[in-house]
Amino acid sequence: MMLALLVQGAVALSSPSSPAGPWRAALDLAGGPLPFGLQIERAERGWRGKLCNGTECQPIDVRLAGDSLVFEIADYAATIMATRRGDSLVGAYSNVGNRGPRVIPFRAARGRWPAFPPPQPLLGRWDATFFTDWATSPRVFELKRGPSGLEGTIISNTGDYGHFAGWAVADSFAMAHFDGSYVYLLTGKLEGDTLRGIFHAGLRTQTPWKAVRSSGAPHLRSPAELTTADTAAPFRFAFRDLEGRMVTNEDPRFKGKVVLVDIFGSWCPTCHHATPELVKLYRRYRTRGLEVVGLAYEVTGDSAIDGRQMRRYRDKFGITFPLLLAGINDTEAAAATLPQLRGFTSFPTTLFLGRDGRIRRVQAGFYGPATGEQYRRQLREYERAIETLLKEGER
Amino acid sequence: MIRFLPLLLFASSVGAQVPPDIAMERSGYVAWLKKAPNSPLLAVAQQRVGDGVRLGPADADIPLPGVEAHRVYPAGSGLVLEGSGGQRPIGRGRPYRIGKYALYLSGPPPGTVLTVFSDKATREPPGYYEYNSSMVFTGPLLRPAAPRQIRVLAADGIEVDATEVGSFVVPQGGGTPLRVLRIPIAGGDESDLEIFFRDESNGDGTYPAGRFVSLVPLPNGQFRLDFNRARNPFCAYSSVYPCPAPWRGNSVPAALRVGERYAGGGLEAVPAQEPAE
Repeated sequence: MMLALLVQGAVALSSPSSPAGPWRAALDLAGGPLPFGLQIERAERGWRGKLCNGTECQPIDVRLAGDSLVFEIADYAATIMATRRGDSLVGAYSNVGNRGPRVIPFRAARGRWPAFPPPQPLLGRWDATFFTDWATSPRVFELKRGPSGLEGTIISNTGDYGHFAGWAVADSFAMAHFDGSYVYLLTGKLEGDTLRGIFHAGLRTQTPWKAVRSSGAPHLRSPAELTTADTAAPFRFAFRDLEGRMVTNEDPRFKGKVVLVDIFGSWCPTCHHATPELVKLYRRYRTRGLEVVGLAYEVTGDSAIDGRQMRRYRDKFGITFPLLLAGINDTEAAAATLPQLRGFTSFPTTLFLGRDGRIRRVQAGFYGPATGEQYRRQLREYERAIETLLKEGER
Repeated sequence: MIRFLPLLLFASSVGAQVPPDIAMERSGYVAWLKKAPNSPLLAVAQQRVGDGVRLGPADADIPLPGVEAHRVYPAGSGLVLEGSGGQRPIGRGRPYRIGKYALYLSGPPPGTVLTVFSDKATREPPGYYEYNSSMVFTGPLLRPAAPRQIRVLAADGIEVDATEVGSFVVPQGGGTPLRVLRIPIAGGDESDLEIFFRDESNGDGTYPAGRFVSLVPLPNGQFRLDFNRARNPFCAYSSVYPCPAPWRGNSVPAALRVGERYAGGGLEAVPAQEPAE
């Protein structure tokens, strides 16, 4: 069906000479096409674009070069280069790898992916098991009806895989997440009361899975149990802020306050979901004694370049709490700067410090908006935890 | 007794037009070899970090003309680059510039490896044999009874913990099983199913120590092995890289003059190591 939609003639939404308008795009993985959307529009100088999974979009740069279009996804040093053939685009997505480039065939036709209302029996929360050779690992699928048809996400022990969108017809479905770096496609079929299918990652990796409807019992480990901490002493940190000033846990602004420590990176898509929530919590609870500090682990190790990325991040989310450049995003290197944490594996990780500066809760990962009720429940837990810690000092 | 012989996809056809996906893969790879800061054509040195590696002066572990003294060493569970300007943590999988050189760390501790790249290639990218559509096979992956973890060198000479996932049978020699390993790709849910094989063209048009080829899963549960996609390990481009030891049994009794050619250079001889178990 996907293939037919891509190759069939599409209604041109703008003049053939202009690339403006929506495009239904696909990456041709070994196991089938991964659908996503592109939108191109005129900018003051040249063109600009959006890369979309269903109705969730992110801005990307677009260049027109002769009969070619180049989409630059700067956050991930990734590019889609495509040649225009009438109302089609044909080319490749690529980014740099260690053993050669990561190249995946790309094509697009004018128009939008049609939105099929997904059948009710597929919807809901499913407890899934991934099978990699002889090992298994748990996931949870959230499948729901959205504006673009089937939408949802995959959740692991440390957070979600971002927003997925796709289609479902009868008992089969496919939904995808492509953000310029992560290339994920989930395909499956309902057989009786069990879902079975393949999780596709990148061009060729295929992981079989099966899932049963969630009973409500925990299927994943709690994010509060994954990383443990030294709670005997105050949490210590000392890093420079964006103005080059050394900021430590001993600073007066943190003394006697409840502090949320956001361990994040501007390169981390899940962090882009978590940070706006911390901004809201800071606005709401600041006058009662809440402080927030962001410890950034960035890509290059060059403070000028990393600082520029952090400023973009700060401005994007309207962050008014301090952001400190703590290191680079290598998990082991980051863990080395956080000796009071054990089992640090996840960006973001949020530490809840009591007024005495000691770690009271460690939240590894973050459930993004795509997880629906889990996202809302997590935010309620954040609020409860903050309220509890604030009240301890008020007694 | 081999019960499932792969199906020959096409009739023999040397010089057939290169399929678009193979053409794209080759052009992308050649462009990467020419332009990527970590292209093996730019490599000038590689060494395990161990307790530390000194760079720069003539008596350093890795002398780099025009570069003042630097050191890369482990600190805690991370790694640090130290120079006259101070220290900074460095991570894996991205370039760090010192002068005209780029440093690149790969592989998990304690086997982390430092590779140094210059800004000028000393060799040209490889050539390819004509496309031969009779060298494309589909068939099942024959699973072993139990999983086996095995430590091998990947194509880039970096040690990885791979999983032996089974064997794939090619028709040459009346049915030759080739061992298949799942080789992880750092930083995500991705991995490749790889076969490191030798054949009778080795040393006579193809790299003496053998070549890698990926096994591609198909939607119907079968797998495709296209020898036109055979590619050299990085040691074929530069003697900076160690060469993977041949995988036991992965010897095809035929000359497979398809895929990537060998134009000399790199590690000339077959490695003296024992074949990977």
